[in-house]
Amino acid sequence: MPKQQLNELNVLLIEDDKKKANILMEALGRSQYCIKHVASSGISLLKQVEQLQPDVIIIDVESPSRDILDSLSIISHANPKPVVMFSEQEDTETINQTVKSGVSAYIAGDINPIRVRSILDTAVARFSEYQALKSELVKTKQKLSSQRVVEQAKVWLMETKSLTEKEAYHRIRKMAMDNSQKLEDVAKNILSLAQMLEKSS
Amino acid sequence: MSQIHTQLSGSESRDIALGFMPLTDCAPLVVAHELGFFEGQGLNVTLKKQYSWATMRDKLHAGVLDAAQFLAPMPIASTLGLSGPAVNVIAPMVLSQNGNGITLSMALYEEIKFIHQRLFVDLPISAALLKPVIEARKQSGTKLRFATVYPHSCHYYQLLTWFEQNGVNKGDVDIVIIPPASMVEALQSDDIDGFCVGGPWNAKAVRDGVGVTGATSCDIWPDMPEKVLAMKHSWQVQNPATTKALIRALQQACDWLATVANRFEAARILSRHTYLDLHLSVIAPSLIGSCLVHHQLSPRHMPSYNRFAVDGSDTINKPELFHGEWLLSQMLKYQHIPENSKVEQLMSQVFRQDIYQGAFTDSNIATPSNVARLATATKASLKSTKMVP
Repeated sequence: MPKQQLNELNVLLIEDDKKKANILMEALGRSQYCIKHVASSGISLLKQVEQLQPDVIIIDVESPSRDILDSLSIISHANPKPVVMFSEQEDTETINQTVKSGVSAYIAGDINPIRVRSILDTAVARFSEYQALKSELVKTKQKLSSQRVVEQAKVWLMETKSLTEKEAYHRIRKMAMDNSQKLEDVAKNILSLAQMLEKSS
Repeated sequence: MSQIHTQLSGSESRDIALGFMPLTDCAPLVVAHELGFFEGQGLNVTLKKQYSWATMRDKLHAGVLDAAQFLAPMPIASTLGLSGPAVNVIAPMVLSQNGNGITLSMALYEEIKFIHQRLFVDLPISAALLKPVIEARKQSGTKLRFATVYPHSCHYYQLLTWFEQNGVNKGDVDIVIIPPASMVEALQSDDIDGFCVGGPWNAKAVRDGVGVTGATSCDIWPDMPEKVLAMKHSWQVQNPATTKALIRALQQACDWLATVANRFEAARILSRHTYLDLHLSVIAPSLIGSCLVHHQLSPRHMPSYNRFAVDGSDTINKPELFHGEWLLSQMLKYQHIPENSKVEQLMSQVFRQDIYQGAFTDSNIATPSNVARLATATKASLKSTKMVP
């Protein structure tokens, strides 16, 4: 996760063309972004990412190294990083579409210092938002599935022990409290017992 | 000809931005362009050279490219939203089969020969021969490191299959992603011990004397789709006749590439600056069915090293569902797709053989070759489906 906005952020700039790199570095001078520039594209880039642990990566959209960055979270399970791509072509459609994905942003056209900074700010903010949304989604999914398990266990108790819904719920809750377990785990135990009984009958 | 032009009138686009990667198997796209097959179908195609698969994907998703050459597993990844938003990308045509190779560094090859006390190593080289090397590295706290080009690629799954088939544990080797053009240098500098990549990079490593090509995709899983024609489903819906014209032009190119003589000619065209910008001596071998192995040994004869079409009865360009399901099974096996994903019906949504077949049935141009192609396409679709090739 990126650090607080006020703290210095490590930026890894991947660019073979020194002139282009200098323009970007100048644009970001005296900001909270601290740029480390590399021109490498192969295996040494992987090492640099590992060593520097950047908060943001800036790369030319046409760079072959883009695939290295894309693969980091897929095969090496490294933390995903916000990637900002700059492109010399004005292509608003691309920009909009890619920004939607939440992990990347495009800087298109002329490199104007104020714009570059604000694009980086937006990219970092959007990235944190996206990561938060993603973990929220995982949590919600877990919650939903745990509710479903408890619901199923309740139904089984109601049907086999002729309990009311309220009684069934209380029974699960009591078992959970007595054994200091989660409701979900108790429900899972009940369901696996139910499955076993069904198989043997 | 006038018939085709009438078909494309209306709201459909005749101008197509088509993305390609500078690799040997972009041949169908280049041939269709250079030999005027696109023009013949009333299309105005601009070929756009790309350097990274992720950027090619983003541009297709964003509509900057209308259609593109994709790694066969990529439309599945796009449709499932595996890296970014889910976009229904379809593959209405297979452009090529095979073409990848596993190359080991000279140092690793020498180490294998030394440990196993051999003057030569049988081909294809078995990954089992790596086991003592892996053990030795373990003692010193290191791992063998292999590189490939993209996570959602046949290359990656083929490399893992090669290890698995020969009893090498995936966890005992490192796998990294680096661009194809950086592979030979990484091999030479001992940063990696081997790679799995497409042409011309295996041949380049052998010609430069820095690597030994030990196995090809023909040895691991032969005759599976390698590159496909990809486009957004929404684009196809808006441009149905244009899509068919595009498929017909590319089919003509694939058919043209069926003979070795023409594939040599294609190698000449590909070597130009606009395309691969590399010497003919590294582009031609795989195209003419020759797998360079070692700079001091004879090449292997491998007729289907790069396949775009088969002379005679069968068509390999129709996207078969069982081929797609095989790729899907690899993606599930190597955990690129979460276990609980809903993947039923997915392949018929991605591998659109109906669109491929439609390109030849609805064209109103009853040339003899179309009739023959339709017959084989129908015959192939009647064959029973099976999972394992």
